[in-house]
Amino acid sequence: MDNINVLIIEDTLEQSDELVKVLEKNNYNVAGVAVNYTEALKLFYEKPVDIIIIDVFLDGKPDGITFAESINIIPHASKPFVFLTSSQDRQVFERAKLTRPFSFLMKPFNELEILYALEMAVEKFYEQTNVFFSEEQNTVISNDSLFIKKKNSLKKVSLEDILYIEVEERYCNIITEKEKFVILISLTKISDLLDKNKFIKTHRNTIVNTDKIEEIILADNLIILKGNHKINLSDTYKDFIKKMNILS
Amino acid sequence: MKSKIFYIVILLFVTNLNFLFSQEKKFFEFEKKEIQQGAITYKGKINFVKAQSFYLKEDWDSTLVYSMKQLNNNNHKVMSDYCHYFRGVSFFHKKLYKEAQKEFFLVSEKFVLTPIKNFTLGASFLESKQFQRALFYFRLSEKQFIKLNEDNYLADIYTGIGSSYIYLKQLDEAEDYLLKNLSLTAKTQNNDRICSSYINLANLYYEQYKDNLAIPYFKKAYDLSKKIKNYNKKEIASRNMAIVEENRGNFKEALVYRKESEQWKDSLNNQNKIWAVADFEKKFAVAQKQKQIKVLEVENKLKNTQRNTLFFSSIGLLLILTGGVYLYAQKVKNGKTILRQKNKLDELNATKDQLFSIVSHDLRSSVNALKNSNSKLSATLETKNYDELNHLIIQNSSIANGTYSLLDNLLHWALLQTKQLYFNKESIHLYSVIQQIEYNYKPLLLEKSITFENSVSKNIFLFVDLDSLKIVFRNLLDNAIKFSNENGQITFSANEPDSDFCQVIIQDTGIGMNENTIKELLYEGELLAKKGNSEIIGTGLGLQLCKQMIKKNSGTFEIESELNKGTKMILTFPKTK
Repeated sequence: MDNINVLIIEDTLEQSDELVKVLEKNNYNVAGVAVNYTEALKLFYEKPVDIIIIDVFLDGKPDGITFAESINIIPHASKPFVFLTSSQDRQVFERAKLTRPFSFLMKPFNELEILYALEMAVEKFYEQTNVFFSEEQNTVISNDSLFIKKKNSLKKVSLEDILYIEVEERYCNIITEKEKFVILISLTKISDLLDKNKFIKTHRNTIVNTDKIEEIILADNLIILKGNHKINLSDTYKDFIKKMNILS
Repeated sequence: MKSKIFYIVILLFVTNLNFLFSQEKKFFEFEKKEIQQGAITYKGKINFVKAQSFYLKEDWDSTLVYSMKQLNNNNHKVMSDYCHYFRGVSFFHKKLYKEAQKEFFLVSEKFVLTPIKNFTLGASFLESKQFQRALFYFRLSEKQFIKLNEDNYLADIYTGIGSSYIYLKQLDEAEDYLLKNLSLTAKTQNNDRICSSYINLANLYYEQYKDNLAIPYFKKAYDLSKKIKNYNKKEIASRNMAIVEENRGNFKEALVYRKESEQWKDSLNNQNKIWAVADFEKKFAVAQKQKQIKVLEVENKLKNTQRNTLFFSSIGLLLILTGGVYLYAQKVKNGKTILRQKNKLDELNATKDQLFSIVSHDLRSSVNALKNSNSKLSATLETKNYDELNHLIIQNSSIANGTYSLLDNLLHWALLQTKQLYFNKESIHLYSVIQQIEYNYKPLLLEKSITFENSVSKNIFLFVDLDSLKIVFRNLLDNAIKFSNENGQITFSANEPDSDFCQVIIQDTGIGMNENTIKELLYEGELLAKKGNSEIIGTGLGLQLCKQMIKKNSGTFEIESELNKGTKMILTFPKTK
């Protein structure tokens, strides 16, 4: 489970320091602090970034919005972002609003508000709203990661690291090569949101990452994954084998 | 002598025409009856019926047309006999004698009107100077009519035969027939015809120089002519007398007769003239009428124009009236709009004044308090009384906090008034938002030892604008803390009375308020509630803002309070669906 990387675009040192303090306290990883548009773009492409906090006004110009617009243009490059603003000027908002999905945080803000805004930004960006604050679910699934809420913070698990998922009622056991943890999500939701070509049901309550399969022993109804994990293969779900390219 | 013959020929010719005229003028009963009989028999044949009706009306051209049509369509023997007969008579009257003869020859012998046919045929031969043949057909016709005993026709036939004989110079026979004619006409009592017979007979005798026979007839004709109205006959009779007297050498009498003849001729001419005059008068009358019509037309036109003018002018007036009414209505509307705008402006102006009063009083006094506190702070710093210092710093910060929230409220209120506030409804997690608000008031709560409880379910999501919700909660929490005593309790709780709305209840155990204050606070209007107790109650701006924000989020706001027991603020907001 990794920390979330946050890029801060803020030209006021006081504010950025405050932000860094709050984020680090809540186990977020600050990828960098940019003070202007160019620096922001540079950092965005150089560092791993999961969420961006953008001050609308950089040096008196609404460059923050320009930045959001720039990253929105490039498909698949965009990340969840939060606008910071001290102005409730309608015109600024109307422009900022066009950079969908749009979430913002009014200055002055406290710790809880920052964390709430970040979580909201992730939910809105991946179009899975009302997840982190409900009691039924705590995970948002993006195309390459799981965003999991742990206490006040968000954590990330790369989908590539997952070996298999075991479902137990409302919970899912996520088993990666290194660790094993529980997330709160229903089986139907998780199987809807995961790539069906990569994650395949092998049993009533087991989803396997096909990339991690080392061996399939049909005689024993057994799948052996990386790290010698043995998974049962139920007859009902055997069909997926036909879809795989089998070397003979 | 020559002149005498000349006259006679003329006379005969005249009488011949005369006799033909009589034929032309009226149909004798016999013929009429037969033709009508034919029409009844062949009722269905439109062309035939038409032909016969035109024939009886003496419209010869139409008769020719329809009889030809009938002949082309039908080969019925009797009908074609009728048609040929009609055509023959028509041609005869149109003076196309050869054609007439051809048609008559096509009529079969059994045809009922054969006697008339033969007679007309004879007349046509007579007209075309073929006297022998004329005589033949007249004779034929005579025999047939004697059988039928039709005197009217016989008289004419005898004249015809007589005329033929005259032309053939067989004067004895001519005399014989003319006498027969005379005897027949004498029976009819028709003076006109009798007169003709006398003239014919007299002429015959006169040509044979049997003057002593001729003159009495001339005389008789002359006498009879006085009784008839035919000017032509009168003229002929008197002229004949003139010629007779002239030849006898009685010039004086001849002159008298001639004069009389001239007179009749004149009368004839006069009659013609009268006809002409009548005709002219008729024309004149017609012209007069035409003129009158024209005058009437012009009058009509004038009337029309007048009517149109009236019509258009009334329409114009109506339009002007409508326009006037419209303009007046517009004016009234404008007046109303202006009045409404004036009221609105007055209200806004009052709001502005209040804003100024808040700025000038509350903000000024807050900042002033901060200033004073700061100078006290520096004074205390010199004495190094740390306890007092700490107390002052806390006081300073609370003053700054209060001033900040006042400013914030002012800003939002101003933005709301000028409709500049950004407003975006979205799904909001109620529990988190309450936690966020409480976070800022933690020091204050701690200071007053107030217990804060957030008992809102974590599964409630409201569909509201986040910022305005925060403003509402901030103000209400601020108030709750302000009006709470030490060791009090503030609780945020939520109910879900139905699936669309959520009730948020903020309850404190503070000093509470009376009904009047509640009423004042909930008073709807742009104006801020008036201050009661300036020390504690504050500006009322916060609550005013809350009310408007809640309304904008399509929520409701209620207050339940009991003095010294506490206050319950009940808000409802729409839930996320």
